Amino acid sequence: MFWISRLGSILGALLFCFLLDKVTGGLSDFSSRLVVLAGLYVTLSVSLNLINGITGQFSMGHAAFYQVGAYTAGYLSVTYFSKAHLPGFLWIVLMMIVAAIGAALAGLIVGLPSLRLKGDYLAIVTLGFGEIIRIVVQNQPSIGGAYGMNVQPKFPQLFASTGTHGVWLVWLLAILCIAVCRNLLKNVHGLPFLAVREDEIASSAMGVNVTGVKVTAFLIGSAFAGAAGALLAHYEGFLSPTMFTMELSFIVLTMVVLGGTGSITGSTLAAIVLFYLPEKLRDLPPVPVSFLVGAVIGAVGIVVFLKKTIDNYHGSSSQKTVRMILGTATGIVVAAALGFVLKVIPTIGHAAPVEAAKLRMVIFAVTLIFLMLLRPQGVFAHHEFSWSWVKKLLGKKDVPTTAVST
Amino acid sequence: MSLLTLKDATIRFGGLVAVNKVNFEIETGDLFGLIGPNGAGKTTCFNLITGVYTPTSGHILFNGRPIGGTPPNKIAKLGICRTFQNIRLFGALSCLENVMVGAYLRHRTGLWTALSDIPPAIKETRALKEEAMRLLEVVNLEDVANARSADLSYGSQRRLEIARAMATQPKLLLLDEPAAGMNPQEKAELMETVRRIRDDHQKTVLLIEHDMRFVMGLCEKIVVLDHGEEIASGPPDAIRNDPKVIAAYLGEAV
Ligand SMILES: Nc1ncnc2c1ncn2[C@@H]1O[C@H](COP(=O)(O)OP(=O)(O)OP(=O)(O)O)[C@@H](O)[C@H]1O
Ligand SMILES: [Mg+2]
Repeated sequence: MFWISRLGSILGALLFCFLLDKVTGGLSDFSSRLVVLAGLYVTLSVSLNLINGITGQFSMGHAAFYQVGAYTAGYLSVTYFSKAHLPGFLWIVLMMIVAAIGAALAGLIVGLPSLRLKGDYLAIVTLGFGEIIRIVVQNQPSIGGAYGMNVQPKFPQLFASTGTHGVWLVWLLAILCIAVCRNLLKNVHGLPFLAVREDEIASSAMGVNVTGVKVTAFLIGSAFAGAAGALLAHYEGFLSPTMFTMELSFIVLTMVVLGGTGSITGSTLAAIVLFYLPEKLRDLPPVPVSFLVGAVIGAVGIVVFLKKTIDNYHGSSSQKTVRMILGTATGIVVAAALGFVLKVIPTIGHAAPVEAAKLRMVIFAVTLIFLMLLRPQGVFAHHEFSWSWVKKLLGKKDVPTTAVST
Repeated sequence: MSLLTLKDATIRFGGLVAVNKVNFEIETGDLFGLIGPNGAGKTTCFNLITGVYTPTSGHILFNGRPIGGTPPNKIAKLGICRTFQNIRLFGALSCLENVMVGAYLRHRTGLWTALSDIPPAIKETRALKEEAMRLLEVVNLEDVANARSADLSYGSQRRLEIARAMATQPKLLLLDEPAAGMNPQEKAELMETVRRIRDDHQKTVLLIEHDMRFVMGLCEKIVVLDHGEEIASGPPDAIRNDPKVIAAYLGEAV
């Protein structure tokens, strides 16, 4: 019974990946590129969540592990692929494994300070380590230095014999990363990781090897980032240190925090949404100034109302939900109405429409601020998606929500 | 051979000698009390025994084996587990999960089995969970098994700490002010629980407590510390009437 359902899950995951591959194959280059990058971001965010959210080690150098993996795989491919005579997709799997090991070694080094440092101090040190790795690469002519390095072979060549685009492998890695983290939390072995996050002194008094737990978290987390790096190298066919700046570490960290530190579901969904949001906002049409002003007023009004409701409204939770939905709807209607009304004012009515696409990073940032105001613990907080949780949402029956007891 | 022996155990923090040449022996099955005024060095004694601090000089023997300076997680594996004076639960975890962290120490399956979530790990998790549930029953917390431990009342949190320590299946259980902040009713229940832990679960218990009725009613042997030094030891009746203890700690009315 167990093995049948396990086989089912594995087949399901494979089916999903290959379907995704088929579908994205028909899309434009730009769209299929987004699907690939989204998959890589999911891996990055879920693996950082293991270090940051689950084990509570504030690491801000995740881009460095990604980079170590990417350069390890890229360099080896350029040097040895033509001599190896391996089928392309076996080669890339091999490269992922080697990159994972390389990144795990880097993770070990970056993880060592975590044995002594906590919180902000650890954050600063990991940030520094990340920058050091980037700058060292930037000054290594043998791997392209600041100019960057071309990586051969690329995805089309690697996956030619399989008749696929390689998108499946990217998402298979993401799913593997999710599965590993979920399995860890589902079994008693995950508890020491959470315990270290909560209280190191009490953990060690209960027999938890705190050092071992932290190092393990860094090893697993950085290994997945490294494997993702290997895929990036062969997908882009080009690597440069500018692809692995602090900014990338921050974005991945934002995904983890926004999704709800510790929640795998949260990290996954936040990675997809935060990655797609700025991309999709590129397609926004120009909007008349009056509507822009209306939208700003409406958005602020909605957020203030929601915040007030969350903090001060003492009704049953269903009443609260209704109130929040009605409030939001009212806000939208008011915003639209303002858009029409404000047109009457000549200076606003005659102004040229604003290209909303140019404001996309502003909209992105404001969305983040609003979300953090409304839900500082992250969208999913500590919760995970599970079928019993869905049932609870639908109001069927009360079920425990903790990771181990579901 | 006694279960735990302190031989001239001493620790110095700069100029302060927090524990000064303390000697006592705990036999298997003892219910042993450690008392003394604030700052006497009681908690520091616990920290020495559990490996949080290494003694500056002197020896600590467990089952005849020197354990001074052994890291805390190894001490727990040897069979000594403690609770904390300033409660240290894993706040975001449920009560059941807190106790399971204690039980984790006895896991046998490797990390790889857990990461691939295959039957050995699943079975083990289930077994440890059931065991944790039984321990929650011992401290009457089975009804709140799935509640966040940070949401419990003060008294319940103290009892949860005891269950968590019990889950490591220690030979020696150290309780640091287990009754602090409890009302008389809770204290009476706790006394019953501690006694059952010793009698039914065959644990040796060493406890620190300021409530004299609690200590005197429960412990068979007591050591009194003052300014890091041992000023008296013996059965409750002897301690109650010891002039040095009365002067340093108890005052007249007990
Ligand atoms: N890590 C440390 N560094 C410096 N001084 C310390 C340290 N730990 C404890 N002390 C000092 O050692 C002395 C004994 O402290 P301890 O906590 O053992 O007292 P206690 O007997 O448990 O008191 P209480 O009843 O208030 O809990 C105190 O003066 C304390 O300030
Ligand atoms: Mg104390």
